[in-house]
Amino acid sequence: MAVASRTAPGRRFVGRRLRRLWSPIAHTQGLARVMLLSGASITLFFIVLAFFARWIAPYGFTQYAAHGVRFPQLGHPGGVHPFGTTVESDDVLSRVIWGAQTELKVVVLALVLSLAVGVPLGLFSGYFGGALDRGLVLLMDAMFAFPPLLLAIVIAFELGSTVSSGVVTAAVAITIAYVPQYFRVVRNHVISVREETYVEAARALGARPMTIIRKYVFFNVVQNVPVLATLNAADAILTLAGLGFLGYGVQPTQAAEWGYDVQRGLSDATNGIWWTGLFPGMAIVVLVTGITLLGEGLNETTNPVLRRRRFGRFDFEPVSPMFAEVEPPLQPDEGLGE
Amino acid sequence: MTGTSLKTYALTRLALVVPMVLILLTFVFLLMRVAPGNPIAAALGGHVPPSVIQRISHRLGYDKPIYTQYGDYLWGVLHGNLGRTITDRRAVSSIIVENGGATLELTVAASFVAMVVGLVVGLLAGRFRDTWIDVSGRLFGIVAYAMPVFFLGFLAQLLFGIWLGWLPTSNQASPITQAFLPVHSHILFIDAIWAHNWGALWDVVKHLILPATTLGIVIGGVFIRLVRINVIRSLKDDYVEAARARGIRERSVVYRYAFRNALVPVVTVVGLQLALLLGGAILTEETFNWPGIGSTLVSYLAERDYAGVQGIVVVFALVVVVASLLIDFVNAFIDPRIRY
Amino acid sequence: MRKGRVRWLFAGSVAAIAVAVALSASAYGSSKAGKILVDGTTETVTNIDPAGNYDYGTATVDYLIFNRLLAAGPGKNLTPHPELATKCSSVGNLKTWACTLRKGVKFSNGDSFTSTDVKFSFDRTIAINDPSGISSLITNLASTTTSGPYKVVFHLKHPQSTWLQVLTTTAGSMIVDHKVYPANKLQSSTSPQVGTGPYILKSYNPGQQAVFTVNPHYWGPKPKNAGVIINYYKDSSTMKLALTKGEIDMAYDQFSPTDLTSLKKSSSVKVYIGAGAGIRYLVMDVGKQATKLGVPTGKLAVRQAIAYLMPRQTIASRVYHGQVSPLYSMVAKGLPGHIDAFKTLYGAKPSVAKARAVLKKAHVKTPLKFTIWYTPTHYGAASADEYAEIQRALNASKLFNVTLKSAEWAGYVNTLGTTKGVFQLGWFPDYVDGEDYINPFYPKGQFLSNGYNSAKMNKLALKEEGAKSTKARLKIIKQEQMLAAKNVPLIPYWQNHMVAVARKNVGGVTSTLDPTYIMRFWLLSK
Repeated sequence: MAVASRTAPGRRFVGRRLRRLWSPIAHTQGLARVMLLSGASITLFFIVLAFFARWIAPYGFTQYAAHGVRFPQLGHPGGVHPFGTTVESDDVLSRVIWGAQTELKVVVLALVLSLAVGVPLGLFSGYFGGALDRGLVLLMDAMFAFPPLLLAIVIAFELGSTVSSGVVTAAVAITIAYVPQYFRVVRNHVISVREETYVEAARALGARPMTIIRKYVFFNVVQNVPVLATLNAADAILTLAGLGFLGYGVQPTQAAEWGYDVQRGLSDATNGIWWTGLFPGMAIVVLVTGITLLGEGLNETTNPVLRRRRFGRFDFEPVSPMFAEVEPPLQPDEGLGE
Repeated sequence: MTGTSLKTYALTRLALVVPMVLILLTFVFLLMRVAPGNPIAAALGGHVPPSVIQRISHRLGYDKPIYTQYGDYLWGVLHGNLGRTITDRRAVSSIIVENGGATLELTVAASFVAMVVGLVVGLLAGRFRDTWIDVSGRLFGIVAYAMPVFFLGFLAQLLFGIWLGWLPTSNQASPITQAFLPVHSHILFIDAIWAHNWGALWDVVKHLILPATTLGIVIGGVFIRLVRINVIRSLKDDYVEAARARGIRERSVVYRYAFRNALVPVVTVVGLQLALLLGGAILTEETFNWPGIGSTLVSYLAERDYAGVQGIVVVFALVVVVASLLIDFVNAFIDPRIRY
Repeated sequence: MRKGRVRWLFAGSVAAIAVAVALSASAYGSSKAGKILVDGTTETVTNIDPAGNYDYGTATVDYLIFNRLLAAGPGKNLTPHPELATKCSSVGNLKTWACTLRKGVKFSNGDSFTSTDVKFSFDRTIAINDPSGISSLITNLASTTTSGPYKVVFHLKHPQSTWLQVLTTTAGSMIVDHKVYPANKLQSSTSPQVGTGPYILKSYNPGQQAVFTVNPHYWGPKPKNAGVIINYYKDSSTMKLALTKGEIDMAYDQFSPTDLTSLKKSSSVKVYIGAGAGIRYLVMDVGKQATKLGVPTGKLAVRQAIAYLMPRQTIASRVYHGQVSPLYSMVAKGLPGHIDAFKTLYGAKPSVAKARAVLKKAHVKTPLKFTIWYTPTHYGAASADEYAEIQRALNASKLFNVTLKSAEWAGYVNTLGTTKGVFQLGWFPDYVDGEDYINPFYPKGQFLSNGYNSAKMNKLALKEEGAKSTKARLKIIKQEQMLAAKNVPLIPYWQNHMVAVARKNVGGVTSTLDPTYIMRFWLLSK
């Protein structure tokens, strides 16, 4: 079986793999489907806002006047400014829309960086084992004990002065906090996949490690990554907001960032000015909810452990707050009908 | 790889505590030293000439090579001396006790709220799976976690503190109460009971409600999912089927079997989420002016108080590492596959 | 739900309510609480020992429990006048100063106050040489000698006409009991503090509270309240919430502009605005320093253009809602010798035309591109708004293309002019005299590292230090301000006001609001 699939033409092979990845999603039903779709549509909505901010937002994120007339300071919502204006006379609606761009920039950067570091490390560490593996596990476990927000603050100090782009600062800070998570998930799955008979067989037949990883391990393991990625995207946004709240994030003239706006808005609210904090705050909640729903939906569909019992009563990998367990790998001969 | 004895596993994990704490210690040390600025410049910059700052920094040894400073620090830690903070000369040990006590009060109360919320909503959602109860329970959990804790806290302050006026919005107790309550344990709740001062106790509880509930709801959102999944899984177990077959009422089945099983992983996850809890505590403490270790740490970070930051992080790391160790033992005890 | 359950729930809730009512009834007795003033602040405290602190928050605490030899204020009376010393004067050449001490003063523990305590206090400040830098205020002191129990003589290293002003600061001048305090290390903040001031520090909970009760041995008039509690807040909006809810009786300084505006409208509190002495200014690198960093401010014309465009009024009204006033000289307004040098040279309001003209005359190509730095953490979040306005004003003139950059305080202040070409700074005085607003910034030895070094200014500074009469000294200070405006390495733009907000039942607040910035709680009543 393993040998036969190894000699199948490359493109058909990949197509089959991708189809297999996609099929559980295509076949969702009931609550899982609802969650998946609603999560996806919310996330898509914000992605659209982010990409087309220049055309959707009525004003720039630090634009304080139009046609030579200054906007009112802390103006009530209504009329030209449906969400009101801020203390710097910026339009709140525009800042919310531009803020989507900032959040997505940070999230994408953070995810790309963490995946690029965490997944390969987990793959190689899990597959090759040995001293390198032990050392990395120790390192990652130690990093895991660190509250991500704290780490983010200190890294913001480092980067804040030299690379004064708040976005990069926050992204790198969040990356370093989440690499251990990806590492752990990927590694643990590689370890269990590694012990499977078909992998042993491939090894016995003399396949090189890279080949084995590429053909058998990677696709199985990577199935869990999207779920974890949505979780991390959600946490990334919350950490960025937390950084902004503490004053270490993106400054208002560099970009619009919801966490910073909420921080300024909170002190406004005690004075009866609710709109500067409420709208950015709601934006955070809605986007994070959307991403989480997407993740929940994905988890429900790709995680049939609720219907199958493979690892016993209490199997779970509490790598992250949201997900109690992650899907055991699908076998390569399932659903293929070869 | 599989099947090592519990004893070997225990010893291995225990032996790893020291290197883990050492890694964290070194990491924090390097981060702080590499960050721009030092405590003297932060305190006196913009107010005295750089030569004065230079002189003082030199006297305190901040211009010595990093490895020398590292060695000195490690030497001190190994002798159990965490030192005094630079900015306000507080002994780090007393910071841990005093401010740690406040954070303990907050996190214990918040965990309690989180567990109640998680268990009740999770149980209901799992029991009535795929009904509107389940949907609303899960949605509540998701939105609760999606809310930044400072946003929720602030809304709570506005609603209950200002508009309704029922609860106080900051601090652990009202100023006069706190000024005259004798200090024993640095945990006001306990001290009030110690002094048999019931008015003070009520004051302390009133001040605890908003911050604990805010943090508790956000963390509880996570537990809802966990409890739900484990309730669902337990309800499908063979022995539950057997109990149903024997004619035991559904409600009994749920409460006696599924519920109890759902509890075990919750306790485990509490420990593993200590890092998360403390991160959330930082923001909650900032919002409610709670004098806990999280907000103290944030201040020392801003002031570049090396001793303060390092001391607090070391103790905190120790707590997290030891807690996750204990929990992993429990796990390994239950499931022999999760061992080295 | 079964009937039994419902009954239990009902009984349980009734019991809970009963308990709650009982508890609230036995709340803390209010007789003691009645006359104790509860104050909130966002300042922080470092070391209460006077030899170990150089910050405003700790000084506030120290003023309550210690006394100085001489005092400045309250009110308009800013020249040093007797506190623990009844008379102080120079003996001949401004290098030796003798003080006669007040008799019959006792410390809070009953010990008598004598010249030994004075010498001890000054000696230990110098010996401890605390990293807080407080001893830098008395570097000019060579030695202190006593002559009998009520006379002290100060021997300075070189003549200083403002030595008496220095005696009104907190450096060494806060007298401690020589029997209680160690001679060469600090007394911990949580150990007993013994001074001659109107209050005793009953307890200090770091970061949370400082509790003061009246000192029965105090030599001066009895404080108007039964005690003071200072509650420390991290954040001014939390403090404002506590104030509106009545958890604290008053709060002062460090309000955000929006907070203050709404407090002014509130009916339960009264906002008091007094004179202030803190200033905010823009620093520009000049000369070689500027070329090294690649900022155009090396040219005088560029600096003058920025001075012509500085939007003082917009900042004062839009950003700070009147909490600050436009400032036209580095020397604060209200101090003797202050002149509106920048108003004279650059006009009261910004003028694009004049800026354009001066740049054209110097053949400088526009728009000029550079970065301005500010810090959002140390001076309050409104700094971001402040600099947004400055950026907007400069960019709207089409002569400049300014980008803003920021860094949190510790990273920001680590390198000032050496890495930042144009940046924000603020200043509050050590003693309230024009000299303290010139010497840190212009003459040789200034701390801005912006490359400014003018021979003419250095000469003026020396002359001022050795001036024979106040009149002569003030004349020189005026000259220094004009030269500073002409060279314009710095542009001052606002001066703040001391703000206190108190509930309606608190009295006496206006009596303590003055440029010395000291909150004299003993004058306040409830």
